[in-house]
Amino acid sequence: MRLSDIMSAMQLSGWAELALILFLAAFVAVAFQLFSPKRRAEYQRRGQLPLEGDMDEAETSEGKP
Amino acid sequence: MLLAVSRRVTTRMEKFRYDDAIVRKFAFATIIWGLVGTLAGLWVALLMVMPALSFDLPYLTFGRLRPLHTNAAIFAFAGNAVFAAVYYSSQRLLKARMFSDKLSAVHFWGWQAIIVAAAITLPLGFTQGKEYAELEWPIDIAIAVVWVIFAINFFGTIAKRRERHLYVAIWFYIATIVAVAALHIFNRLSGTPGPMKSYSPYAGGRDAFMQWWYGHNAVAFFLTTPFLGLMYYFLPKAANRPVFSYRLSILHFWSIVFLYIWAGPHHLHYTALPEWASTLGMVFSVMLWMPSWGGMINGLLTLRGAWNKVARDPVLKFFVVGVTFYGMSTFEGPMLSIKSVNALSHYNDWTIAHVHSGALGWNGFMTFGLLYWLTPKLFQTKLWSKKLAEVHFWVGTLGILFYIVAIYAAGITQGLMWRAFDDTGRLAYPDFVETVVRIVPMYWVRVLGGTMFVTGVVLCLVNMVMTWKARPKTYADPEHEAAALGEDLEPTPRVEIPAHATSLQLAYKLRYLGDLAWHRVWEKRPFTFTIWVVIAVAVASLFEIIPTFLIRSNVPSIASVHPYTPLELAGRDIYLAEGCYNCHSQMVRPIRSETERYGEYSKPGEFVYDHPFQWGSRRIGPDLHRVGGKYPHLWHVRHMEEPSSTTPGSLMPRYPWMLSDDLDFSVIQSRVDAMAMLGVPYPDAVQGQAEPLARAQAKQVADEITTQGGPQGLEDKKIVALVAYLQRLGTDIKTASAPTQPNSLLAEKAGAR
Repeated sequence: MRLSDIMSAMQLSGWAELALILFLAAFVAVAFQLFSPKRRAEYQRRGQLPLEGDMDEAETSEGKP
Repeated sequence: MLLAVSRRVTTRMEKFRYDDAIVRKFAFATIIWGLVGTLAGLWVALLMVMPALSFDLPYLTFGRLRPLHTNAAIFAFAGNAVFAAVYYSSQRLLKARMFSDKLSAVHFWGWQAIIVAAAITLPLGFTQGKEYAELEWPIDIAIAVVWVIFAINFFGTIAKRRERHLYVAIWFYIATIVAVAALHIFNRLSGTPGPMKSYSPYAGGRDAFMQWWYGHNAVAFFLTTPFLGLMYYFLPKAANRPVFSYRLSILHFWSIVFLYIWAGPHHLHYTALPEWASTLGMVFSVMLWMPSWGGMINGLLTLRGAWNKVARDPVLKFFVVGVTFYGMSTFEGPMLSIKSVNALSHYNDWTIAHVHSGALGWNGFMTFGLLYWLTPKLFQTKLWSKKLAEVHFWVGTLGILFYIVAIYAAGITQGLMWRAFDDTGRLAYPDFVETVVRIVPMYWVRVLGGTMFVTGVVLCLVNMVMTWKARPKTYADPEHEAAALGEDLEPTPRVEIPAHATSLQLAYKLRYLGDLAWHRVWEKRPFTFTIWVVIAVAVASLFEIIPTFLIRSNVPSIASVHPYTPLELAGRDIYLAEGCYNCHSQMVRPIRSETERYGEYSKPGEFVYDHPFQWGSRRIGPDLHRVGGKYPHLWHVRHMEEPSSTTPGSLMPRYPWMLSDDLDFSVIQSRVDAMAMLGVPYPDAVQGQAEPLARAQAKQVADEITTQGGPQGLEDKKIVALVAYLQRLGTDIKTASAPTQPNSLLAEKAGAR
C-alpha cells in the first residue's frame, strides 16, 4: 500500500478541523500568558527596548538639535 | 518543598561599535532600485495605453517588462529596504555589531548582482513562467546562497548579542528569514534542460498550488513580516514612545505566522484546484483579518498623545499612511478571498488595485518613512529639506489615490461587463475587446498616478543625495558599552517537589503552564524559538501540501489528454519566454459567463503535462484555454504580426519577429528529455527523434498557413511552433481517447512502442 492510497482514503475535512483546533489551542495559550496581569510590568519593559538605544536616536527627521 | 535558585551574574562590560556603513549602502540601493522599479511600472502602465511603445522590440513588450517591474519592486526596492531596516535595528536591539562585516558585504553585493542579473535576463526572455518566481535557475541558486549568508550573519549576531530578550521586531525578522528560505527552495525546484532554461517539477493544479503557496507567502513573509518588524522598531523610535501594546504585538506575531501560510489557495478559487483546498484558503484568509488589524491598531495607537508630532514630522506622516494602507489592504485581502467576491474580482484590475494599495501604500510609504528617518542619522547631518519630504508625502499620497481609485473602477467595470447578460440571456459584451476599450481612460489616470508616485521617489533620492553631500568629512563612530550576557543572567526559579506529592506536582505544572514560562525561555533561546517558527510554518504548509500532492482523486485523469508534441512544446517555451501569462489566463472557470464566452470549463486532468502551469492571474486579453481550433492558423499569424488587424482596439503589442526569427530546433530534444525526466510519458520512440518530429509538424503547419493564403517559408520560424501550441490548447477533451492530428505524430510513436 502506498502513501497516496492511505491519503486518498482519509477524510479531508478532518485535516482542516484539526488545524483549526491546533491554531485555537496555540492562540489561547499565547493569549492566556500574554494578558496575565502578573506579566504586565515585564512586557512594558520589553516594549521599551527600541528606546534604550543611543541618545541621539530620539530625534526625528528634523535633524540634530 | 525546596526552592533552589542558582544565580550567576556576569557584570563584565563590553565595548562595541555598530556597522552603519552597510546600512548606508542598503539605504541608497533601496531608493535607486525604487526608482528603477517604479519607472519600469510606469513604462508598463504606458504600454497598456500605447502598445506601440514597445517599438517592435521583444525586450520592451509588456510580457517581458512586467516581471521586471514586479521583481524590481519586490526584491530590489522592498528587499533592500528590509535589509537596511534589519541591519540598523537588529544591531541596536541586540546591542551587538553584525556578526561579520565580510558577510554583510557579500550579502549586499551579492543581492545587487542578483538584481542586475534579473534586470538583464528578464527582458531577454529567460523566465520560468511563474509570477514573482520568474528568475532562471542559476539566479535562483545565487538567491539561495546569498539568503543563507544573510541568515548566518543575522543568527550570528543574535548569538553574540548583549540583550537577553529578543524584541518582537527580531521575531518578525526570524520568521522572514526561515519562511522565505522554505518558500524559495520548494517553489524553485526545477528540471533543467540547459544553462538558462528550467521546468517546474510540478504540473498543472499541483504547480498552481505550489506557486500560490509561494506567491501569497512571498507577500506574507517578504512584504509583510519584515515590514511589521520595521514598524515595531522604527515607529516607536520616530514617535519616541513605546509600542502601544507589546503583548498585542506578540499575539499579532504568532497569529500571522500560523495563519498566513494557509491562505495561498484563495488565488485559485473556481479553478481546477480541489474545492477543499480552495475553501481552506478562504477560511484562513478571513481569519487573517483580525491579527492584521490588531497589528494596524497597535501601530496607530503607538501615536496616542503624539498626533501633534505627525503634523510636523514627514517621517510619522509616511508611517501613519503606510500603516493605514496596511489596514485597508488586510481588510480587502480577506474580503477578496471570499469565493463569491473573488468570482467578480479575479482576472481583472481589482486585484491589481489591491496589490498596489499594499505595495505603494504599505511597503512604499513605510520604506520612505524609514529612509527619511535613517538619512539624517546615517549621514550625521540634518535632512537636506524637510519641505521636500513633505512635498514627496503629498505627491505620493495623491499618486497612490489616483492609481488605485482608477484601477478599482477599471477592475469592477470590466468584471461586471464580463458577467453581464442581455435580456435574451446572451452575453451583453461577447467581444472581449469591448471590455478592454471601456477601461482605457482609467489606464490613463493610472499613468498620471504612477507619474506622481515616481516623482515622489525622485524627490526622495534628491533629498538623500543632498543630505549625503552635507555629511561630515569622517563619520563619527561612537563606541557603545553593554554588559555581556552570562549563561544564566535571569534564571527561572526551579522548584523541586517530592515525587510522592503528585497533587503538588500537578499544581506546579499548571502554574508553569499558566505563567507560560516556556515562552520566556523561548525568547531567551532564539534557536529553539526559530525551530518553533519553522514548525508553525511547516505544519500549516504540510496540512495543505501533503493532501494536494498525494490524493489521486484531486486530479482525475482524462484518457484523451496526451503530452505536447515536440513542436508544441517549443511553442509553449516561446509562450513562456514572451510572458504571455501576464495578459492571458488558461483557465475557464465553471461560471456561466465564462463557459458562454470561452467554452467548456477547464478540468484538472487537462493540465497534467503543464510544467509549469500557465493559468495566469489577469486577463488583459481573453482566456486562451479553449483557443485551440477557434481560429485558422493564418488568424494567429496575422494577429501576432499586427494584433489590431484581427482585433481592432487590442492592447497587445506587435510580435513581427515571430515571423522572421528562426526557431532553434536543436534544443527541442533536450527540452523533451527534461520533460520526460519530470515524468511526462513521452514514448521511447520520441527519444532522439524530437527534432525530426518537430520539423515534420512545422512543415505541416507552414503548409496549412500557405494554403489559407498566408506567407510562404514559415516552416523554420518561431511562429509555427507558437501556432502549433495555441491550436493544441484545450482541444484534448474534444477528441476521442486517440488524439488526432497533429498529436498523431506522438500517438503513432506511442503505438509503435
